[in-house]
Amino acid sequence: GPTPRPDVHPLPPGTHLMFAQSGKIEFVPLEGYDMKKDDAKAVLHLPEKVIIGVAYDCVDKMVYWTEISSPSISRASIQGGDPTPVIKTDLDSPEGIAIDHLGRTMFWTDSVKDRIEVASLDGSQRRVIIDSDLVNPRAIITDPPNGNLYWADWNRDAPKIETSYMDGSNRRVLVKDDLGLPNGLTYDPQSALLCWADAGTHKMECMNPALGDRRKVLEGIQYPFGITSHGKNIYYTDWRRDAVVAVDRYAGRETDEFQPLKRTKLYGITTAYAQCPSGQNYCAVN
Amino acid sequence: DSTQGTPADCQPCPCPAGATCAVVPKTREVVCTNCPAGTTGKRCELCDDGFFGDPLGQSGPVRACRACKCSDNIDPNAVGNCDRETGECLKCIYNTDGFFCDRCKDGFYGNALASNPAEKCKPCSCSPFGTVGQQTGCSQVTGQCQCLPHVTERDCSACEPGFYNLHSGTGCQRCNCNPIGSTN
Repeated sequence: GPTPRPDVHPLPPGTHLMFAQSGKIEFVPLEGYDMKKDDAKAVLHLPEKVIIGVAYDCVDKMVYWTEISSPSISRASIQGGDPTPVIKTDLDSPEGIAIDHLGRTMFWTDSVKDRIEVASLDGSQRRVIIDSDLVNPRAIITDPPNGNLYWADWNRDAPKIETSYMDGSNRRVLVKDDLGLPNGLTYDPQSALLCWADAGTHKMECMNPALGDRRKVLEGIQYPFGITSHGKNIYYTDWRRDAVVAVDRYAGRETDEFQPLKRTKLYGITTAYAQCPSGQNYCAVN
Repeated sequence: DSTQGTPADCQPCPCPAGATCAVVPKTREVVCTNCPAGTTGKRCELCDDGFFGDPLGQSGPVRACRACKCSDNIDPNAVGNCDRETGECLKCIYNTDGFFCDRCKDGFYGNALASNPAEKCKPCSCSPFGTVGQQTGCSQVTGQCQCLPHVTERDCSACEPGFYNLHSGTGCQRCNCNPIGSTN
């Protein structure tokens, strides 16, 4: 039966996973590392949209998302607020989105324009920072305290994971061997590990970007799309199972799975922390 | 609205069987919240990403949602491969183009429907010296570029026998050799 306010449901305090599934953004509360599956619900209903990427701003407690049916980037307060578009023009297929909560900027990939852009969180001061050597850019993430940007390109002929500073300078390829379809990328600031999920090699791997020490976390995963980290756990959305799968990074095994009632593809996923991680970067103080 | 106290307070959801619904307070609009598999939208009138159709028949006969039909020229790892209603292919690969990714894109020729990607669409690569107006396009089927006078080959890269100076950019010129003093 009808429930009040179906477009926006305020989130209770605590840390949550947020993921996109066919016209809605759902959340699952985390209790420690456990998904409280019975308390999962939609935080936003956008029935006419195809939402791909989601990101969370821990400062203003806003969720940001990319949408490809009328290509745009929008945001809404998770404490209850109307969805507001922030970028509406000059987008073709915006996919991954990442927030620099210190610099108050957002970054996104566009897989048709084949570029990476940055803008202030309200959509102003928009600028292209990478526009060459991209074929199928998708995942993008930030490491705000260190001012680093990471992204993955699933180009079937030459998949790669790259990094640059947040202005696009000092661009370098971090990984190009033994990749298939690196759809998902996440960075855990505590362990300084960049981890990715590959739908081509069916592996989840991590490396410290400064050391280049690549290591395998798990083999035989099915069809990862988005991934996000939270302490010792990594959570990824799976296109085969239409589920969120929890992986214990240290034990190297899947520990749990959440399959929403509706059976359709899950896209981007992010961790919405109750509080921002500590740290500052040069953009925040300039 | 169950607070009015009339028999018409609660009405059935205007959604396909099995779907639940809710009212948006601000607009009082009713939205389906749990559409049948493969469908989405306020009234479950749209197809999920990667599918196309008109499940409620809003603009003609009912067309159930089907997977994008793009001549095997889309990538299953991509999102937004086709228009959810019309099925128009939006992300053709292998240098193909068209509503169903069923022809080569401009500047390429061959058979977009060939089963082997290597045999699908090849670049025209017209010789800039031998082609009319330095065009980059060619016949979709044969790949023939539009050659200047007395220029030959598919890519207009050579002079006809008895002609020379392809690089003039205006076509090849007659050799004008004296038949008595020439070897052929």
